[in-house]
Amino acid sequence: MAPFELAEPHTLSEAIALLNAGDVPVRAIAGGTALMLMMKAGVFQPARLVSLRRVEACHAEITVMPDGGLSIGAMATLSSLARSAAVKQAAPVITQTLKTLSNVRVRNVATIGGHLAHGDPHMDLPPVLTALGAQVRTLSPVGERTRAVADLYTGYYETVLADNELISEVIVPPQSGSLAAYLKITTRAADDWPTLGIAVSLQMEADIVKAARIVVSAATNTPLRLEVAEQTLLGTTLDAVTLLRCGDAAVSSVELAADAHGSAAYKRELLRVYTQRALRQALAVQL
Amino acid sequence: MKLPIAAVGRSIPRLEAHAKVTGHAAYVHNLSVPGMLIAKVFRSTVAHGRIRSIDVTAARAMLGVFAVYTGEDIRKVIAEPYYGPAFHDQPILALDKVRYAGEPVAVVLAVDTHVAEAAAQLISAEYDELPAVFNEVEAMTSTAVVHEVLKPAGTFADLKHLKNKSGTNIALDFHLRRGDVDKAFATADHVFEHNFRTQQVLHLPLEPFATVAIPEGDRKSGTLTLHSSTQSPSFVRIEIARLLGWPENKVRVKVPYLGGGFGAKVYIKSEALAAACAMLARRPVKFATTMEEQFYMITKHATTLRIKSGVTRDGKITARECEVWWNGGAYADIGPRVTQKSGFTAAGPYEIDNVKIDSYALYTNLPAAGALRGFGIPQLVWAYESHTEMIARELKIDPLAIRRTNLLREGRPQATGTLMRDAALGQVLERLATRMQWDKPLDRGTETLRRGRGIAIGFKASISPTTSMAIVNINADGSCHLYSSTVDMGQGSDTAMAQMVSEVIGVPVQKITVVHPDTDVTPYDMATLGSRSTYHMGHAVKNAAEDARDKLFAMARELGLSAETTPIPDVFKKKYGMQAGNIVGVGSFIPPYTSPDANGQTTDATPFWMIGATGAEVEVDIETGEFKVTRLVNLVDVGKAINPAIVETQISGATIMQLGFTLTEQMNFDAGHVTNASLADYKIPGIRDIPPLMENEAVDANQKSGPFGAKGVGESGTFGVSPAIANAIDDAVGVRLTSLPLTAEAVYRGLRNKAGNPLRND
Repeated sequence: MAPFELAEPHTLSEAIALLNAGDVPVRAIAGGTALMLMMKAGVFQPARLVSLRRVEACHAEITVMPDGGLSIGAMATLSSLARSAAVKQAAPVITQTLKTLSNVRVRNVATIGGHLAHGDPHMDLPPVLTALGAQVRTLSPVGERTRAVADLYTGYYETVLADNELISEVIVPPQSGSLAAYLKITTRAADDWPTLGIAVSLQMEADIVKAARIVVSAATNTPLRLEVAEQTLLGTTLDAVTLLRCGDAAVSSVELAADAHGSAAYKRELLRVYTQRALRQALAVQL
Repeated sequence: MKLPIAAVGRSIPRLEAHAKVTGHAAYVHNLSVPGMLIAKVFRSTVAHGRIRSIDVTAARAMLGVFAVYTGEDIRKVIAEPYYGPAFHDQPILALDKVRYAGEPVAVVLAVDTHVAEAAAQLISAEYDELPAVFNEVEAMTSTAVVHEVLKPAGTFADLKHLKNKSGTNIALDFHLRRGDVDKAFATADHVFEHNFRTQQVLHLPLEPFATVAIPEGDRKSGTLTLHSSTQSPSFVRIEIARLLGWPENKVRVKVPYLGGGFGAKVYIKSEALAAACAMLARRPVKFATTMEEQFYMITKHATTLRIKSGVTRDGKITARECEVWWNGGAYADIGPRVTQKSGFTAAGPYEIDNVKIDSYALYTNLPAAGALRGFGIPQLVWAYESHTEMIARELKIDPLAIRRTNLLREGRPQATGTLMRDAALGQVLERLATRMQWDKPLDRGTETLRRGRGIAIGFKASISPTTSMAIVNINADGSCHLYSSTVDMGQGSDTAMAQMVSEVIGVPVQKITVVHPDTDVTPYDMATLGSRSTYHMGHAVKNAAEDARDKLFAMARELGLSAETTPIPDVFKKKYGMQAGNIVGVGSFIPPYTSPDANGQTTDATPFWMIGATGAEVEVDIETGEFKVTRLVNLVDVGKAINPAIVETQISGATIMQLGFTLTEQMNFDAGHVTNASLADYKIPGIRDIPPLMENEAVDANQKSGPFGAKGVGESGTFGVSPAIANAIDDAVGVRLTSLPLTAEAVYRGLRNKAGNPLRND
């Protein structure tokens, strides 16, 4: 690992100013769990790292908003999310997801902002937050913006975020009356990057599906909503025939990539089965 | 003075446990000495090629770089810079050509690790690429030849005929012939033939390879001290002395605790480069690899196995033919020994009158393969216990029954002709059956979650003949020192050896210091490998302790004291007038051994047999092929356990390691390049991969020729794991996997094939 400059600004706006460094490789570093691996492997050699660990404490706060939604400061660690009663109440699927997200050492330092900004399609929360309709607030020298998590990703490790744009906050809208589930499928060791991630969220009225989101990740370049599959659910009671049809629709509406976790053909079969299982699991959640 | 302490057979806590958990234990990886330079290696980017040029100018010019060396520089201090235990085939840095992607081509020395790393990245090399061979079966006939001329080291008689051979990749061919297989196949009721494969994996000790080499004096009359994370200090001394043309006493090798070894650190590894750099630089040099670099050091052989059996209609095996191709990678390391020693038992622990075994060590353009916890046995058991099960299923014979029918009994000849002695095969199999409740039906699960169970049993001949020496020193206050070159790499040998000294001399283990390997101080030992230490070093230690005790008794009697009742300090006080003096006992051991003849036959193949069996229960999700190992039952014969608690953890450790090689671990390659050289992408089992039910048992046995009835422990837990799980999957869903690792996708594809609806690829 080559030497580099480490800046530790005390405010988010200072941090953003420090990211403007012309052509030299500069990155913001929060928990650093992903960035350090890239640096160790020599994939990324920064001239300067801008550490966010000393920015205002408010950026790590997790609060329930008056409408019942969640506001999560970008610097909140994944552990603090996992332990948060507010998160568990407002969006239990997030709490559930964190149980098998990496390991406790990573969760203790990794932040939600870094997790979302990294752009690795194997991350667990981007599909979950996409399914929940979450948004992020970002800050850059040109000002504040609000973006849907669903719109953050443009490709493999590619996001819409500018080099000097930082996520400051994640907003999860109120989930009242909705059911959600996330299934992480690993095919090698239990603690591994997912072969496939599937997040679902359902709006039910009586027993009828009014709205649905199905998001696939890990086997695709970015988290992807499977709208054709979502359509098959609307107006149904999620009976067995509907689930089968939905699984088939999911498979036919997306192209999955082969890698060391499995062939594309096998991942399609996993998608077919696990789409149904995720929906069943969401339905089993007690409101 | 002789108190009946009965130290042997007790679960005494490990002597080093406190130092390790409090972070006080010293490891070479953490060692730093004044003036030390750090070595970082520049590696080949092609799998096979002639070196056209190496450009080190930018690296040399970098601030903080002390020196950059290539293979030609090494020749200045070592004229013939090739090393290895079986063949002198491995250059310290590549000379003339490279033979695998990742081979060391140049080395940077700098005072700072980061500078050395950055400078190594500035080196470039050009190659004329040569055709490469990666598959072990193709290597038999390939026109791509890894080594132009074979250079056996001369230490092994059965390699001599390969000297100066050219145009071949075969680094050893072992043949065993017993009876007449062809005739037996012709008259057998049934003949079965199957092919199997195992993948290339590696050891991955938590502490990677590390050596600090310290030169003293000048090149001609000086000495060289190596602090190294090695399993074989004596061999390192001999090999470095050979390379330098020095007598053994000029090279000193010191070994503290190891953070794991598993066969990776046997013979000579990081020592050759560290030594050469220190000799060139005349400064202390540390060569410590990263975790990721372990993927280019040493691995476990991938294998292709063909096995054919003639069987009577009631399941008696009358003939067995085995062909095994071992993918040895670019350098032989100890691969030829693996090929031969495991060849002895390739037909399995069964009494078969007609046996034919052909076992080939092959060079290929991949990272070298050597010994890994089992010395080739897990690959063979994978094949013969899968094959045995397939025969049983085909003939509708119970898997336990077919093994009972064929199992080798005490006193009967094994395939080499050597009689089975103190081999508790039957006992291990029966205890396994009892613990698995084999006679009771298994809960078969649900419509989509099917359950099954499987068993497998394997055995191993110990590597032989090998020598161990030990010294026991009784101090005037009755405390003792044990000098032994056995390396405690986590297996608990310090504790076990101290227990033996305690038992013989009657001094509690707390009063015994085990002096760690230091070739200027501790006597010769062949190496800590192949589960040999408890038996071989155990004998040497017992002999040394008895020698010391006898001398102490004789001294007491000389002084007119009762040898049995006088406290040790009183004997010394009476002899020397004060607390002074000491008594030194020496011991050595080499077991009897007879080399096999041209047909692989010998009356004495091994000093002891190691036996391991595993029973597995699995749950298979038939919608996805995903499966869980819900229970593993592991039975071994270790003779009498010196320390039952350590034995138990050795069984579970070995089993979990093999579980990784069975389910999750695999080195992936693209044109000879490892594509998953990191712990993020090469998956060793985590705590959540370990079966919820795991039972480990050493059967109540006795190795009559062993010290205190004991024999080797470390490897036996690996033998049965892979086939037991594959057999359980077959039992659950009728899918037979013949290639490791066992993956959910492979099971799923098997299910689809069975349903006549194969999964199509894009």
